[in-house]
Parts: sequence; C-alpha cells; structure tokens
Amino acid sequence: MPGLPPGATAALKSSAFQAGATVCGVASAAAFDAHAPAGHRPGDLLPGAASVVVVGGSQPRAGDWAATSPWVLQTMGTTERIQSVGRKLAQQIESQLGYYALYVPPGTASGDTPFLSLMLAAQLAGLGSRSLAGPVLNREHGFMYWSAVITTAPLETDTVEGESACPAPPCREMWERERTTPCLKTCPADDGGCLAGTLEHGRAVRTFYDAARCNTRVHTHWVGGFQKVLEETLNETDRDRRKMLLYGDFFTRTLWAITYSSTNIAQCFECMRVCPAAHGLKEMK
Amino acid sequence: MTPEERIKAVGLKAGARVVGIASVEAFRAKVPEGHRPEDMLPGARSVVVAGGDGPTAGAWRCPDHRVMEITGYDLRENVAVHVMADFIEATFAHQTIQAPSLAVHGHAPPMSMMHAAELAGLGSRSLAAHIILNPEYGLLYYAALITTLPLEPDPPLAEPACPHPGCTAMYKRIGTTPCLRVCPACLSGTVKDGRIESSTYDRECCHSRAQTYGIGSFQKSLLQIVNEDDAEKRRGMIYSDFFARSIQALGFFRDSIAQCFECMRVCPVGRKYRKLQ
Repeated sequence: MPGLPPGATAALKSSAFQAGATVCGVASAAAFDAHAPAGHRPGDLLPGAASVVVVGGSQPRAGDWAATSPWVLQTMGTTERIQSVGRKLAQQIESQLGYYALYVPPGTASGDTPFLSLMLAAQLAGLGSRSLAGPVLNREHGFMYWSAVITTAPLETDTVEGESACPAPPCREMWERERTTPCLKTCPADDGGCLAGTLEHGRAVRTFYDAARCNTRVHTHWVGGFQKVLEETLNETDRDRRKMLLYGDFFTRTLWAITYSSTNIAQCFECMRVCPAAHGLKEMK
Repeated sequence: MTPEERIKAVGLKAGARVVGIASVEAFRAKVPEGHRPEDMLPGARSVVVAGGDGPTAGAWRCPDHRVMEITGYDLRENVAVHVMADFIEATFAHQTIQAPSLAVHGHAPPMSMMHAAELAGLGSRSLAAHIILNPEYGLLYYAALITTLPLEPDPPLAEPACPHPGCTAMYKRIGTTPCLRVCPACLSGTVKDGRIESSTYDRECCHSRAQTYGIGSFQKSLLQIVNEDDAEKRRGMIYSDFFARSIQALGFFRDSIAQCFECMRVCPVGRKYRKLQ
C-alpha cells in the first residue's frame, strides 16, 4: 500500500487491543455507499476518507448480566470506555502514520440519527452482524459497544462475517418448538413490546421494530425524560405539583443520567439479557 | 502472589491509592436487605473497594476557593474498579460487577461505598460529616466491585483514623476539634478517651453547602424559574451565574462534585501528603 509502512494495520489493531478493545476491524469507506444514506457516509464527514477503523468492547460483564438488581445495569454502564479507545486510535493514526483521522462522535447528528452508523461500521468491518433484537452481535463476544475512526489512510480491510451469531442454536430450537425466540418472547410487539420477527431457513428476519417505544424504555432517564418532565412542569398550573415533578425521583434520576451520561445511559437490556448469543462464549463461575 | 495481592496490584496500577477487600457476610450486620452485595449479584462472595485521591496538594493550597469548587474529583477509583473487574472475570472466570452507588431514591444509593470502605479496612467514620478517613491519606473517594470470587478479606481498622491524636489533645484543651470548630452549623460531637463518643451531622444543611452547584441547585432554580411570572425576572434567573454554574456542574460533574471542603481542609489526617515543596 502506498504511503503506509508495512504492518501498519496490524500495529494499529495491536494498539487498540492494548488500549482495551476486545475486537478491532477495518472497513473500506466505499463499502458504506451501498448501505448508508448520503450525508452519513465516511466521506461526508472526512473528505478523502479511505478506511473506517472500528473497535468493540466495554460490554456488560458476565456479572452484570447475572445481577438481579435492575439498578446495576441501569446506572453502571461501561460504554464510555470504548470511546476512549477510538479517540486514542485517531490520535495515533495522525501522529504516527501522518494521515487525517476523525473520531466518529458517539452522539446523534439530528433526532435519533447518528453521524455514522456504528452498527453498520461494525458489520462492514467484519466484527458482527445484526441480531433479531437489533444490536450487532459478535460471534465470540456477543453484545458490545462500538467506536469508530474515519481515516484517509488506506488500511487493509477485513471481510464481512459470513455466518451470524443470531439466531443462536437454542433460539432455532425454541423457534421450532414455540414459533418464537427469547428476545421476541421477552418484548413482543403484539403484547406491548417492541419486537417482531421470524426465522426463515435458519436466518433471523425482523419484521417489525417499534423504535420510538424502545427508545422510551431504553432511555427512561435521559434527554427525553428531561424534556417530558419539563413540558409537564410548564403545563402544570399547581405550584405544589410543579415542585413534586421537579424534585421527584424520576426527574432526579434523569438529571443523574445526564450528569453521568456515559455510565447511566440505558435502562432496559431485556432483549439482550435473554439472548444466548449476547453474553459471549466464555463460561463464568 | 496470591489472588488478593494480584487484584490489589492491578487496582493500584490503574490509579487507586488504596485497595481493600471485605467479605459479603460482613455487610449483613448493618446493611438492610435489598442493599447487600448478594442482593445485587447472586452468589456474591467478596467486595473489593478502591480509594482514589481527591484534590491535589496544590489545590488545597490555592487561595482562590473557586478552584477547589470545580476540580475536586476525577473518578480514578471507578477506573480502578473497572480494571479490577475486567481482570477478575478474565483471569479467574468469576462474575463481577461494579457496585452500584448512584442514588436511585432520594439520597439513597443501592449500596453504600462508605460502609464498604470501612468493612474493607480502608478507613473509619469521622466527626467531619462521617466522612471515611483513611488513616494514612485522610480523605479519599471510594468505589467498589462485587464478585463471586471468594477472597480473603482485610480486617477492619484496629484503631480508628478519627480522632487524630492532635484533635484529641485539642478537645481536651478547649472541648472541640478542628472540624467541629470550623463547621458548628453542620457538625457536632464529643470525644472521650481518644475515641468518638458521639457524633451527629445535619446532612441537609451539609448537602446544600457541599453541593452548592449540582442537581439540587438545578432543581431549585428551575422551580423558581417556572414559578416566576415576570418575563424580565425569569430572564435574569435563567442567565444568572447561579443557574449557569448549576448547569456547568451537571455537565462537568466529575470535576465539580463539591463546593465545600472546610471540615476536611482543617483535618490533620493525611495532611503530610499535602505538604510539598
């Protein structure tokens, strides 16, 4: 590859693992064109983009999934740690390789739309595939958090996963028996939940996903919760009730979620909690 | 190295100043059901606690009080806990979680980090707002992990860190201690035979002073703003320093967790580490 020293991609991945990434892959920037809408492709964010480096990790630990207190996962997420790995790689690409590198912001560009879909990036970098429940699952480690760096460096790219983690063998068996899977059963769209889907020829096909409903459950205490209480407070004419709204547990926890935005960001993990493929292959005591 | 020594070494390398271990059984005596380690993680056997530094010695010396108000805290003990939790799951294959400590109802956290630190032998309650003082370093901030890995616990402190011998001598002389004297509004207590005999503190009073800017002040300001009918006054409140700093405190919460350190400023425990060149 012109301009890049031999082994540059391998060295970058090694740095990612040292910095705390569980997996690391590289996608070609051009691969996004077929999947991402204009304005949300690597080249829209960094002119001349050639590659996208994706790191995954900081997923809930085995203990987090086993925890019986809902407060554990609701208030003690670990997502932010993978973002620091992404930032570190961006700095390294610029300082050591001399190419432009842009750390993809983890927030949204507008509404619920990200600047660049990190889940799509993870798929194109060969790190996982979409599950029936929605999140991208890695075959070995399951559910993960993602961070990505767009760069003008022409790094060696990885191939997209040939076989997906979802549906897991127990889910296929359950489908044969009950015509449902653990994630569909725990959050069924036809019974107040968010998900619907089928397994066709052993592959998961999602037929319905209520994103708005899922958002209010996953982000119970977050920006949306703040906006909701603020509107209710402004519409409330009774001063005592206003006070209750602003000093209530719901609003207080929402403010905690905003202050600790990276560790307190999601409150519902149920589709992933019951997913046999989401928790990784390693057995814990 | 024993597993306990290896875990502690990992925590210390990751930024903790001290690391201690408590058994889950130790929590049963004083912790109500629903808030014990095994209520968070089934099969929990041990709690590993990390203590992290607060303000630097330079920050304590700074004559501008606003510096300490916005640079109190960096959460390194939480980083250490995450690194140790990863290490335990990866090395010993035992389930591990960070102990939840953010308040979910009022001021009540799911688990008390102060109590965990006491049980792990890292410190003891003080006359100063019952803050846990480490006998060597004084004020530290604490985080913990819960694991199913059985570990040898550390014993609680044989001698409490508070009162410091100097404070005991001062109490004998003039019937007070540095912390009680500097904040009689929040603190009261007595010392007998070199031990705390009684101690009370007004948490609500202390909370409004220690966290002048934060979630509480944001809620207070917001209520006043929505209750204000005069548009000009409302504008003044929204753009005031108080509300602006309250919002900043939310955004930079890690750096801006407390605004009053006076009882700790005068505390002699760990002061030797605040004396530099």
